[in-house]
Amino acid sequence: MSRLPALFVALGLLASPVRAETAPPADAPAKPAPAVVSPPAATGADAADTSLSPECRVPGSKLYTLARLAAVKAALKEHRAVRVLTIGSTSGAATSSASYPVRLETALERSLPEVDVVVEARGLQGEIASGAAERLRALVAEIEPDLVIWQVGTADALARVELDAFADALDETVRWIKSHRIDVVLVDPLYTKSLAQDEYYNSIVRKVFEVARREAVPLVQRYEAMRYLSAGSDKGEAHFLGRQFRLNDLGMRCMAEHVTRAITLSLLQPDATGSGNGPIVGKEPPKDRPATEASPAPAR
Amino acid sequence: MRDPNAIDFWRGLALVTIFINHIPGNTFERYTYSQYGISDAAELFVFLAGWSIGIATRDKSGERESVFRSVQRLLSRTIEVYRAQITIMVLALAMIAGTALVLDNPLILEWHNAGGFFGDPIQTVVGVALLTHQLGFFNILPLYVVLLGVAPLFVIVARYSRLAALGLSLALYATSLVEEWNLPSWPGDGDWFFDPLCWQLLLVLGFVLEDWNRRSPLLRIWARRLVPLGIVIVLLGIVLSVFELRPDPLLVPEPRLIFTFDKTYLTPARLIHFVGVLLAFHLVYAWIAPRIGPAVDYLSRLGRNSLAVFSMGSILSLAGQLVRFWTGGGLLVDVLVVGAGLLGLGTTAWFVEWRSRKPRVRA
Repeated sequence: MSRLPALFVALGLLASPVRAETAPPADAPAKPAPAVVSPPAATGADAADTSLSPECRVPGSKLYTLARLAAVKAALKEHRAVRVLTIGSTSGAATSSASYPVRLETALERSLPEVDVVVEARGLQGEIASGAAERLRALVAEIEPDLVIWQVGTADALARVELDAFADALDETVRWIKSHRIDVVLVDPLYTKSLAQDEYYNSIVRKVFEVARREAVPLVQRYEAMRYLSAGSDKGEAHFLGRQFRLNDLGMRCMAEHVTRAITLSLLQPDATGSGNGPIVGKEPPKDRPATEASPAPAR
Repeated sequence: MRDPNAIDFWRGLALVTIFINHIPGNTFERYTYSQYGISDAAELFVFLAGWSIGIATRDKSGERESVFRSVQRLLSRTIEVYRAQITIMVLALAMIAGTALVLDNPLILEWHNAGGFFGDPIQTVVGVALLTHQLGFFNILPLYVVLLGVAPLFVIVARYSRLAALGLSLALYATSLVEEWNLPSWPGDGDWFFDPLCWQLLLVLGFVLEDWNRRSPLLRIWARRLVPLGIVIVLLGIVLSVFELRPDPLLVPEPRLIFTFDKTYLTPARLIHFVGVLLAFHLVYAWIAPRIGPAVDYLSRLGRNSLAVFSMGSILSLAGQLVRFWTGGGLLVDVLVVGAGLLGLGTTAWFVEWRSRKPRVRA
């Protein structure tokens, strides 16, 4: 992809919350799935999602893009436990009850009543572009999950690996997971002020977005969500380490909720007719993108 | 101080390779031999550690020292390596936290598994001391601590029968592969990045082969005859890694670790490739040593002081990563980072030798 359209996508991503107000309401499912989740927020996609804890409230458009989760749905239909593998830089550690995997398991079980969710958390050393993708395959083979929730991009961004190498490796790995009838949810890297103007870093975030769309997998936009929260959370109470660290703290605490929201809403996505191989997100309007904005539509 | 020799030379090369590969994304990464094979510098490093135990547990005349002395030596070395691991972990965590503060950037706290420490220091500091919490790229020394810790068992068995020691090691390796045994990480789920139960085989192999190599001309004759086989394996490894051909871990039959290319468990493919590398290159040192004098001196000096150089290399490669992130990378930065690092490794080795001024045999 040439750089210019990609830049417009970024501009779209970075549009102020006010601009996004014009987007039409979304999330009206054609047919409710088996009664497993509360209905999605009936409010506009750009009002803060009230199903989230007050401090974590972010409009849906800034929080996720949705896609079908066939393997999880199948597990639900068969009334068996849903096995979830979370992969990411922070998810591999800490078993205290406050930690992300435990929060995630709790949040998912609350959203999917009477479903047993088993979350396995693993850290992943290294870059997707070199080696880590291989280890991820080994992890998936070891755990054999129904769903992989993959916090991706941090290590590659820190190593400043070449953008295309990152995107290609990510794309290939997501395709591999899907080829084994395992669902994937991607989570992009965090937002912090000192990186807001870092073009390379924004490109990494954008690459994750592009791969999620190309492979039709749900994406939790941690970057956008935290950016939104950062705008609203300036209460002046000085964190010991400074505001960006407090924001990160908050982002961590909210991530389990955000991921859960994206998953439960994705489960409401209607099953595709016919072969069912088409990219669902591509068929429908990019409902959680501010598509009606004046800015050029993202290149497909 | 011992003269340059093949073991120190190759170990020095492994150290330089590990240093460069631990600065991911840098320009020189693609020129290390790790990119052109199924096994990499870690195998070489552990194998040579085993070989060195063989050398270290003899006196100058080649007589084996008493069992008690060997066990004492290995125990003391275990403590030394543990101390090194704790030191570099503390420095690494401080470097990560310090950089995050200076750059006002919490992303850096998520650096390869460090997030767990900063998110939950109470449990994780215990994990650091127990070696069950490992940062990415800082997981070779914990393996080494465990290997040296169990080495006395194999050394004692080998006093009675080298074949028995090797058999015991192979049995443990095979069982661990089939049963997927590994040491657990804690806090958090998951296992060690380097499974000591599998990797011990390389250490024992190095130890036993050193002994056979010394006693029986047969091993040397056969190693020489099998050089072509080694070259074929190396070429095959180049083809497989360049074209990224490897078995799909979800499609191979059970027990799947027999078939996959997995670093954690040192799967058979990696082991076979490494043996191929040994066969192909074991005569190369004698040929190149006279031709690349200064490089031999430099690498051998690194190899002679491998623990200090490895520890400093870990710190320098982390510093290199942080500098690359901060500056945005690029060829110039990579040249400076890697150049300064190689100089730093050489200086470390020189400093250690200058300080001790007496030869110390290292396990």
